[in-house]
Amino acid sequence: MMEALGYFFMSWVDVQMLLLTAMGTFAGIYIGAIPGLSVTMAVSILISFTFKWDVNHALALISGIYLGGVYGGSRSAILLNIPGAPSAIATGMDGYPLAKRGEAGQAIGLTTVVSVYGGFIGILALAVAAPLVSDLALMFGPRDYMLLAVWGLLLVGSLSGESLSKGVFSGALGALIACVGLDPMTGENRLTFGSMQLSAGIAYVAAMIGFFGVSEVIAQIHELKLTAIKQNVSKIIPSWGLLKKYLPLATRTSTIGVVVGALPGAGGDIAALMAYDHAKRTVKNPSRPFGEGAYEGLVAPESANNAAVGGAYVPMLTLGIPGDAVTAVIIGALYIHGLKPGPMLMIETPHLFWFIVGSLVLANLFLLVFGLTGIKIFAKIVETPKPVLLPLILVLSAVGAYAINNNPVDVYWMLGFGVLGYFLKMYGFQVGPVILGMILGPIMDRSYRQAMASSGEDVGVFVTEFFTTPLSAILLACVVLTVVSQADWWKKLRGRK
Amino acid sequence: MHTSHPRLPGELTFMALIVLFSAFMLWASYNISRFDSLSSPGFFPMLCAATMLVTGLMSLVKTARSKLALAPGQTVFQQFVQKLAPLTLVLFAALIVAYMLLLEVLGFLVASYLFLLLSMQVLGSKRIGLNLVVSAVVLAAIYIVFQTAFSVVLPAGSLVGPYLPEFLK
Repeated sequence: MMEALGYFFMSWVDVQMLLLTAMGTFAGIYIGAIPGLSVTMAVSILISFTFKWDVNHALALISGIYLGGVYGGSRSAILLNIPGAPSAIATGMDGYPLAKRGEAGQAIGLTTVVSVYGGFIGILALAVAAPLVSDLALMFGPRDYMLLAVWGLLLVGSLSGESLSKGVFSGALGALIACVGLDPMTGENRLTFGSMQLSAGIAYVAAMIGFFGVSEVIAQIHELKLTAIKQNVSKIIPSWGLLKKYLPLATRTSTIGVVVGALPGAGGDIAALMAYDHAKRTVKNPSRPFGEGAYEGLVAPESANNAAVGGAYVPMLTLGIPGDAVTAVIIGALYIHGLKPGPMLMIETPHLFWFIVGSLVLANLFLLVFGLTGIKIFAKIVETPKPVLLPLILVLSAVGAYAINNNPVDVYWMLGFGVLGYFLKMYGFQVGPVILGMILGPIMDRSYRQAMASSGEDVGVFVTEFFTTPLSAILLACVVLTVVSQADWWKKLRGRK
Repeated sequence: MHTSHPRLPGELTFMALIVLFSAFMLWASYNISRFDSLSSPGFFPMLCAATMLVTGLMSLVKTARSKLALAPGQTVFQQFVQKLAPLTLVLFAALIVAYMLLLEVLGFLVASYLFLLLSMQVLGSKRIGLNLVVSAVVLAAIYIVFQTAFSVVLPAGSLVGPYLPEFLK
């Protein structure tokens, strides 16, 4: 116990790590707030730079960026009515009307405090649940991992996109990209077409930066002309009475956030929308009607999306299954540092777990400090014109892709994926599932083959085992439910009732 | 069904291309280990490619059913240019490609500086003086931070590199 406490406070007492966490949180807020810069993009680019660092330093920085970034989107949603990040889409619905009434300062203050509150609930859930889930995870067989991975891909495909088939396509594409190279089990070349370059596989980070960085930069060209409106920002720190009034709602929506965050494949953006919906349905007398500047409409999504951060860490650390796109990227970072997220991570390196929890708490405290200060300068930076910003992001992306192996080929891959990502986005596909597919693909491949081999290559045995083991049966039910709930005939049936 | 919104120009071609690509990948995956066994190295790639083929076909059919919303007298190509590839975007994309190709030849600093200046110009930031200063400052910051804090070795460039002063290499 004392030992765990020691690791918990590791990033608090080490000056360097303390500074990195602070810097990460600070940078995260701005990255999240600047429309066009996403946390996923930032973490992807950062990973390529930090892989030579000590893993603790890298994790401290990433924790800060993640928490700060999820929160930061709310600021531009309130001030500019442009969500800086997907998780802030719901925030603008009531945040911007508040800003138009001249209450931007108060809206930001309240948002900050409930975000931090939600963040703490998420971290608490992580600290309590992860050890339990990790014990449970030891009972997971290859078949269960396979089902979890499939479920994760289906969830992200169905919840975030316009159609399930496009979401599944993206996921399968990611999984196929991850197959390129030497087969980890037999060492055979797969899909390399005789090329030595391809035998080493396609650099995961290059694909990530391409899909999230380059494609986003190109897509932003369509929105060059959005300009900001000057806001009056004063009276930021919310009164205790106001906070007390919204604490029960924040607690409920934070719980939603934790649960949604913990689902494989669903993250802060979905948590925020579900929480907003929950608030709309359950709050009978909002401060103003929803959509016209209700405080409830700020509290619900903002507490939920930060709570989802802690939630998303649970499956990532205990099962090695990412909770959302950012954690998919963080898993990539852990791999690069030679760590293998999964049940054994908690057993073999418990210090790492407590260190992560500790730095998340620290980052959350910094969030409170940075969230309530410097809003005036902030408004200036967020107004950086896109013609200046976009080329800069591109240079950073190129540096990031180049840095992985000092290999220009990775830069070309990044560019290729960037262009592909642009067209996928334009034609209604999501790029998030591609990245999740790249992480989950190898897990599915390995666990499927292990499961098939252990049932003696007998399809009959393989299939029956899905129903005879309770855990597999439950997971299978989840998968089936996800597919069915997306089917047109099911929607029609429900619509008729 | 999402047949309600109009088809985008080039969407049908794109869907057809991804279907072809999926079919090709299915064939390539089949060639890894054929149907040797159910847990062979080629099985999972085949599964992925087959999934892509099926879902790609579904999207293709859906797209084929929806209609293009062309303005009177507008060709598909004109709408493609307008909605997906406006001139600014094409120019910017061309600059990106040129930048990546020249990165190794000109070196990081020179190539990036040129890229930043030209692309800011193309994207409409017309204050040249400001562009010159912002590009230089940011590039210097990136260079110092990444060279020192992240110990990333950036390409010095085969053409310009030999003539650069020592501290810029």
